Amino acid sequence: MQFSFSDEQDQFRAIIQRFLREKSPTTEVRRLMATERGYDSEVWRQLAEQLGLPAIHIPEVHGGSGFGPVELCIVMEEFGRYLLCAPYFASSVLATTAIMNGATAAEQAELLPPIASGERIATLAFTEPNGRWDATGVELTADLAGGDYLLSGTKSFVLDGCSAELLIVVAREPGTSGSQGLSFFRVEPDAAGLVREQLQSMDATRKLARLTFTNTPGILLGELGSAAAALSRTLSLAAIALANEMVGGAQALLDSAVSYAKMRVQFGRTIGSFQAIKHKCADMLLEVESAKSAAYYAAQAAADNDSDLPALASLAKACASDAYMHTAASCIQIHGGIGFTWENDTHLWFKRAKSSEVFLGDPSYHRELLMQNREL
Amino acid sequence: MKVLVAVKRVVDYNVKVRAKADGSDVDLNNVKMAINPFCEIAVEEAIRLREAGVATEVIAVSIGDKSCQEQIRTSLALGADRGIQVETEGAVEPLVVAKLLKGVIEKEQPQLVILGKQSIDGDNNQTGQMLGALTNMPQGTFASELVVDGDKITVTREVDGGLQTLSLNLPAIVTTDLRLNEPRYASLPNIMKAKKKQMDVYSPADLGVEPKAHLTTLKVEPPPERKAGIMVASVEELVDKLKNEAKVIS
Repeated sequence: MQFSFSDEQDQFRAIIQRFLREKSPTTEVRRLMATERGYDSEVWRQLAEQLGLPAIHIPEVHGGSGFGPVELCIVMEEFGRYLLCAPYFASSVLATTAIMNGATAAEQAELLPPIASGERIATLAFTEPNGRWDATGVELTADLAGGDYLLSGTKSFVLDGCSAELLIVVAREPGTSGSQGLSFFRVEPDAAGLVREQLQSMDATRKLARLTFTNTPGILLGELGSAAAALSRTLSLAAIALANEMVGGAQALLDSAVSYAKMRVQFGRTIGSFQAIKHKCADMLLEVESAKSAAYYAAQAAADNDSDLPALASLAKACASDAYMHTAASCIQIHGGIGFTWENDTHLWFKRAKSSEVFLGDPSYHRELLMQNREL
Repeated sequence: MKVLVAVKRVVDYNVKVRAKADGSDVDLNNVKMAINPFCEIAVEEAIRLREAGVATEVIAVSIGDKSCQEQIRTSLALGADRGIQVETEGAVEPLVVAKLLKGVIEKEQPQLVILGKQSIDGDNNQTGQMLGALTNMPQGTFASELVVDGDKITVTREVDGGLQTLSLNLPAIVTTDLRLNEPRYASLPNIMKAKKKQMDVYSPADLGVEPKAHLTTLKVEPPPERKAGIMVASVEELVDKLKNEAKVIS
């Protein structure tokens, strides 16, 4: 495969970089991560109205821009580089992709336009306290009572679950297991029997929530019991988007480490001139570039509707997780003592690296999926 | 009303520029280039005038080699309707730029010409004023507010010690200050649309201008590096050094 970004995509990336340089410096990241909501609604409005980012991969008929996974991944990579605090991954990646894959055309026409315009923030609730990232982990049930579906159970690690204005919930018919009987439901944030609690997590730049449903009314999206394939594709695309976000973060750490190594003088010379530091930087570069290749390749495969998508998504996620964590650890090492302090920004990316490493499944899980996919 | 906006390709404002080893110029190899920030403000103002129904067409013009088409495309992505490139080789001086812009004005007959007050590379702050002199059009420089009313334009200028408000007859020339507006960001659909917008290329000869060099750059060198500070033992010593060494207090 020959892959390179077009001039227009490069220009688009440069504009996003400029936007983020101005709107998401680390001083802003630190300010927003200390807030309950976790993002600045004015910045969100600007990125929606001027740059049209929530609309990027939504079809034009539903108020989107009609681009695809490659453009979405450009956005994610830059958000990862600048650690933007915004509900983009929850709303524009997870929820939007679930709706696009699992809802009927009429439901898409109703739900996607306000998400595309940024007026409504949605999220996908599928993981439960058992911590499984696949369909078999879904235990929350949807019972049909008097013509309405009532949801009961708990969802955990829901991204922006407390601030989202629309919840897409994965539930199963009672008595089913595995990938059988799964459906998507839409739940309003003020629905009866819904309790939303913010979770304390290591990475304060991402807000996680636990949602408890007690006979909470939900509206079925798509066909009853047939969401397994849509969920699987949604998770593959989300893993690819997250992998791209992670390589953006890893690149930021590499740049930071190299810049510090060129500036910091010890024993009369810059520390970057010591072989031990050079080796670390070279290893970081190798890992970041390899992870980038896997992430870009997977994004292009998603755009091409490649049949290998689940395997490529797992490959991208596993590579990016390893690269991001190693780069974060090496970046702290290169910074020395200052790298371990609260004042230095490295820990912001380190924590994001750790939370992203386990979100949607850790590298071992994805390598296992890859092997299963290859029937090895 | 037709609005002409001049845009210049300059080194991105985030880049720390370096002088060439031989001191002949700034090193532009592998340096990120961008639209001059003041020109971007000019483009934004022209687009706002069109969105307000005051302007009917916004034309972005740039002068330089083929690479400056990138900045014209950026202007088109921001909302300009069409672009003009005046193709030149090498660096062009403010007077030549003003003469070339005068040629474009004669061809296009805009009612309003908006330029950045200066470019962040040369920092000359000359082109708008020279263009005003060459075209005999009224000029409002360093504009921080701009209101078009019929065949007149009111320009609020940021001057030393306050604001000055001028009323100019159209056609007129305005140069933008930093606080005129906050430029928007281009979206990907608009970047794609910009590809299809019309862009005309003129040579200086088409505009009846022969570029000439009037200035010679003798030397380009970085500012001297700051020396390390020293610790003083007491306030008295500090005051003494400020008085007798730095001579900043008496």
